[in-house]
Amino acid sequence: MNGYPDGIVKEPPEWLSRRRLLDALILRLKGAGQRLAIVLLDMLAIGVLWILVSYIISWHVYGVIAYTLVPWWLFGVGVVEAAAVWESFGRSLGHRLARKELRPRQGGKSTLGQRLVYYIAWHITVLPMVGLLASPPWHERLAGLSLVPFSMEGKKPTPWWRTSSGLFMAVFLCAAVAAAVSVTMDKESLTRLFTQAGRTVKFWKALFSPDTSILLPSIRDLVVTIFMAVIATSFAVVVAVPLSFLAARNLMRGPIGRPIYTVLRGAMSIIRSIEPVIWAIIFLVWVTARRAPFAGVLALWVHSIADLTKLYAERLESIDPGLVEAITSTGAGRLQVLRYAVVPQIINPYISFTLYRWDINIRMATVVGVVGGGGIGQRLYFYLKNLAWQQAGTVMILIVILVWAIDYLSARLRAKLA
Amino acid sequence: MAEPYLVVEHLTKVYERGQVLALKDVSFTVEKGEFLVVIGLSGSGKSTLLRCINRLVEPTSGRIFLGGVEITRLSAREMRKMRRKIGMIFQQFNLIKRATVMTNVLTGRLGYNPTWRTLLGLFPKEDRELALKNLERVGLSDKAYVRADELSGGQQQRVGIARALMQEPELLLADEPVSALDPATSHSVMQYLEQMNREDGVTVLASLHFLSLARRYGTRIIALKEGRLVFDGPPEAIDDAKFKEIYGEEAEQVEVR
Ligand SMILES: Nc1ncnc2c1ncn2[C@@H]1O[C@H](COP(=O)(O)OP(=O)(O)O)[C@@H](O)[C@H]1O
Ligand SMILES: [Mg+2]
Repeated sequence: MNGYPDGIVKEPPEWLSRRRLLDALILRLKGAGQRLAIVLLDMLAIGVLWILVSYIISWHVYGVIAYTLVPWWLFGVGVVEAAAVWESFGRSLGHRLARKELRPRQGGKSTLGQRLVYYIAWHITVLPMVGLLASPPWHERLAGLSLVPFSMEGKKPTPWWRTSSGLFMAVFLCAAVAAAVSVTMDKESLTRLFTQAGRTVKFWKALFSPDTSILLPSIRDLVVTIFMAVIATSFAVVVAVPLSFLAARNLMRGPIGRPIYTVLRGAMSIIRSIEPVIWAIIFLVWVTARRAPFAGVLALWVHSIADLTKLYAERLESIDPGLVEAITSTGAGRLQVLRYAVVPQIINPYISFTLYRWDINIRMATVVGVVGGGGIGQRLYFYLKNLAWQQAGTVMILIVILVWAIDYLSARLRAKLA
Repeated sequence: MAEPYLVVEHLTKVYERGQVLALKDVSFTVEKGEFLVVIGLSGSGKSTLLRCINRLVEPTSGRIFLGGVEITRLSAREMRKMRRKIGMIFQQFNLIKRATVMTNVLTGRLGYNPTWRTLLGLFPKEDRELALKNLERVGLSDKAYVRADELSGGQQQRVGIARALMQEPELLLADEPVSALDPATSHSVMQYLEQMNREDGVTVLASLHFLSLARRYGTRIIALKEGRLVFDGPPEAIDDAKFKEIYGEEAEQVEVR
C-alpha cells in the first residue's frame, strides 16, 4: 500500500498514511512560507537600498532628509516590480540566500519566453498570495519552471561582480556607507576634530590631578559595585542553569517541549535586547529607590539571566550525543545520564561563561550606577553633573584599574578552564 | 525447540527528519553465543539496526525479542533495566573525556546502583574492585586514574570494552568498534571481543567496515543494503558476486591484516 511492510505493531497502517497527508500539507505550507520569505526579503533589500539612495540625494541636493523622493505609492509599486523583475530574469538575493534557483522542469536552460511568462504570472500568484499554496505554485507551473535547490552541476563559477546579487550587495554597501557618512559628519566638525584638540587641555589636566580626599568613600562605592555584580551574577546563575535546559533545542522535543523552547528563547532574546540601563530605570521606578543599589542589582540580574540562559543553552545544544547514547546504553536513568553524560560536557563552559558575565556585570554595574542604580557609577555621575572634573577623574582612574584587574583575572581563570 | 536468543521481526525504521527509510522489513535471528557481524556500506542502516535492539532508536514498526522478552513492548523503566544486560561499544568510544578511566568504567554499573549514590559519584567497593579487575583484563590496570582523553584510540576503546564488561552483559552491541583505529590496533580490540564471546559466552553483534575482519571474527554475517537485509549466512558464503551485490559494482576487496 504505502511502501511499508505489514506487521506494524504500534500503530495501524492508516496512521502512517494519515500522517503522510498531514506531512504533505505541512510541506505545502512550508513551500509557500519559503517562497513568501524570498519575495519579502527581495522587496526589503530593494526598499532599503532605495531609501538609502534617496537619503543621500536629498541630503546633498536639498539639505533635508527625504525617504523616497517619490510618492509612497510609487515607491511601493517600484519595489514590487523590481523584485518581480529580479526574481524572474536573474537569480535574486532571496533565491541566493535560500540556496534555490529556477530551472526548467524539462531540463536544459530556461528561455526568455519562459522567464517572461513567469514574470507576468508572478503578479497573479505572489501578490494575492493564494497561488503560493498550490504545489507547484501557478506561476512556476505556467512558465514550466520549478524552484529547486541550487546546484553548480554543469555550471562554471561566475565572479561576484557579474552576478546580480553580487552587484546589488556592492552598491548596497557603498550606499549604506555614504548615507552613514553624510548623516553623521559634516566638514566643519571634521576640521575641528583635527585643529581644536587644545580646547580639552584644561579638562585633561583636571582629570589627571586626583583628589585624594575622596579616595576612601570612592573605594567604598567601588566595593558596592563589585558586590552588585557578584550578587547579580550568582543569583542569575541559579535561575539560568535550570532555564538553559528548557531552552536547549536538542532537549526540548515534541509537542510540549518545542513550544516551551520557542517561548523561552524568544523571551530571553527580548530581555537581552533591552539594555541594563533601561532595566535599571524600570526597577528604580518599581522599587522606588530607597536603596539604590538594589535597583541596579535587579537590572543586572534580569539581563544576566537572559544572557546566561542563551549562552548555556547554546552550549547544551552542541554537546556530543554519543556520550549520552553510551551512558543511556548502560541502563542508566535520566538523572544519571544528566550527571555522567551531560554535566561533564558543560561544567567548564558554564563556569567560563559565568566568569565572563561577571566581568561584564562589573562594567555594567558602573554604567547602571550612572542612572541612579547605586555604586561607583552614581558617584561618577554626581561629579560629572556638578562639573567636578578633578573628582570625576579620580573616580574614573579607580574604575579603569578595577575593570582592568577584573578583566585580567577572569581571562586568566577562563584560560585555565579551556 | 527453544526460541532463538534474539529475534528481529519485520523491523522498519523511518527517521521523521528527512523521511529517511533507514531499515526496511529486516528479519533475522541470533542464537546464544554467536558472533554475528553486520556489514554494509555507510548509510546502509547498520547503526540504526544495532540501536533499535537496545532502543536508543525507537523502531517504527516490527518486533524484537531478546531471551523471550518482547523488547519493543517494554516501558521506558523496563527497558532501562533490560539495557543493563546489553553492553554497547562505539566507533567514537564515547567516553567522558575529562573524567578518569576509573570513573568511565564505573559508569557501566549505573543501572545496578541507586540513583542518589551515583549522583554523588559513590560506587560500592565491589564495583570498584570489579572495575580494577576488568581494567586488568583489557591490559589497562596502570591507567586507572589517568584522564580518558590522555589515552590512545586503541586504549580508549579498551576502556569502552571494560565499561561494557562492568554490565556483565549477555549481549554486546559493537557499532564499528575499530573503524577509528589503525589495522594493528583493530586486531587487538577485536580479539578482546572474541575473548568475551568465547570465554564469557557473550553473544556479540558487531558492525564492521572491512569484509576481511568480518570473515576473520564472525561466526555468521548479515549484510544490509539501503536498509534491506541482502545476505544472511556463514562467512564462506560471500563470494565475489555476493560481494559486488552488497558493496556495489565498483568496490574492491581490501584486506586488513
Ligand atoms: N538521527 C537521524 N535522523 C535522520 N536520518 C538518520 C538519522 N540517523 C541515521 N539516518 C539516516 O539513516 C540511514 C542509515 O544510517 P545508519 O544507520 O547510520 O547507517 P550506517 O551505520 O550503516 O552508516 C542513513 O541514510 C542516514 O542518513
Ligand atoms: Mg554507522
